[in-house]
Amino acid sequence: MISLPPCERDLHAYVDHQLPESDRRVLETWLAAHPDAAAQVHAWQQDAHVLRASLSGTLQLPANPDLDPALIRRRIRLQSRRHLATAAVLLIAVSLGGLGGWHAREATQPSMLPMADAMQAFRLFAQDGVLPADYRAQDSGTMQAWLDRYFNQAHRLPDLSPSGFKPVSGRLLNTEQGTAAMVLYEDPQGRRISFYIRPPGPNNGFLPHGSRTANGLQAQYWSGAGYNYAVVSPADLAPTHVLQF
Amino acid sequence: MHELDEPLRELIPRLRRFAVSLTRNASSADDLVQSTLERAITRWADKRIEGDLRAWLFSILYRQFLDAHRRTRRYARMLAFFTGREDVQPSVERTVIAQSTLQAFDQLNTEQRALLLWVSVEGLSYKEVAEILDVPLGTVMSRLSRARQALRQLSDGEIASPSLRILK
Repeated sequence: MISLPPCERDLHAYVDHQLPESDRRVLETWLAAHPDAAAQVHAWQQDAHVLRASLSGTLQLPANPDLDPALIRRRIRLQSRRHLATAAVLLIAVSLGGLGGWHAREATQPSMLPMADAMQAFRLFAQDGVLPADYRAQDSGTMQAWLDRYFNQAHRLPDLSPSGFKPVSGRLLNTEQGTAAMVLYEDPQGRRISFYIRPPGPNNGFLPHGSRTANGLQAQYWSGAGYNYAVVSPADLAPTHVLQF
Repeated sequence: MHELDEPLRELIPRLRRFAVSLTRNASSADDLVQSTLERAITRWADKRIEGDLRAWLFSILYRQFLDAHRRTRRYARMLAFFTGREDVQPSVERTVIAQSTLQAFDQLNTEQRALLLWVSVEGLSYKEVAEILDVPLGTVMSRLSRARQALRQLSDGEIASPSLRILK
């Protein structure tokens, strides 16, 4: 129950419809007999009313698709899946290393075998299909844009369309040298070639143009614009025309 | 579809309105709303909120705005230090005479704008506002009173400004 004369807080609560019904009636009766206070209250009500009216326009802003909750949710999930995938890649690399064989040899002698990680990535993702892609291309232009988000002014994706290969998916990997990306190309027969890009690493391990073959895979590698690159393919379909950089 | 998406979608226009009234700029308002939604979606996963979803979102948005604002201010001070200029903030803004309630509203400080929007426009309860600002109920009331007083004074400029022009 409010006491009369009301304090200023009661008047505000009245304006904001936050008084209990009984208090409200008591105050209304009192205001009827006190024109000064009533005028004050009326002015506040008026301001609130005008404010509501003039701010209602901003409720009708044209929709912004970037603000769609489902889209934002998908983006967040993609980011966390990427972190998970990175962890998975490390795990796989470690377990393969434990089995011995060429994996272990390549992992322990990265400087001897240029772009061994590119070939390993090709085995895991292009041949074994271990993990889903981070990005799927709508056309080659969007794949380039996806890559540009992570690599600044790097060499353009090679155009392998004369041999029938189109970029279809991309994925990000964590390597000792920094973030790497592998873009997978496919031709209508489902054969695969990968383009691999990563920073040269702390020792600035830039590479001369070259190529090597290991276990049925061929890697062509080179450096430029601050990154190392490799094109990896099964040895029998190595695209000799790729190295036009 | 996630249970939260539909209620969030419905509140987007209100969040954008609040963000515009804080930033006074449509595109940075949308950035603010976007980061608010991101935060809401991530935090919803590990903690169910009690009470009004709208009040919760308003409080996230308000915090994010204050953080960003503080960063900008720090940057402005740094800039002032290096360029040797004292006042990088436009002082014009403060001297403009209000010609409408909306213009008067735009001249209030951040907290006053938020308060009036929450209470007068969105109809949040004093208790909800107290929780958002993390201050006692009495403090909300006295700040609200000051905000209303300030809006009144600035709106009164509406009447004062034409007569000033005639005198000149």
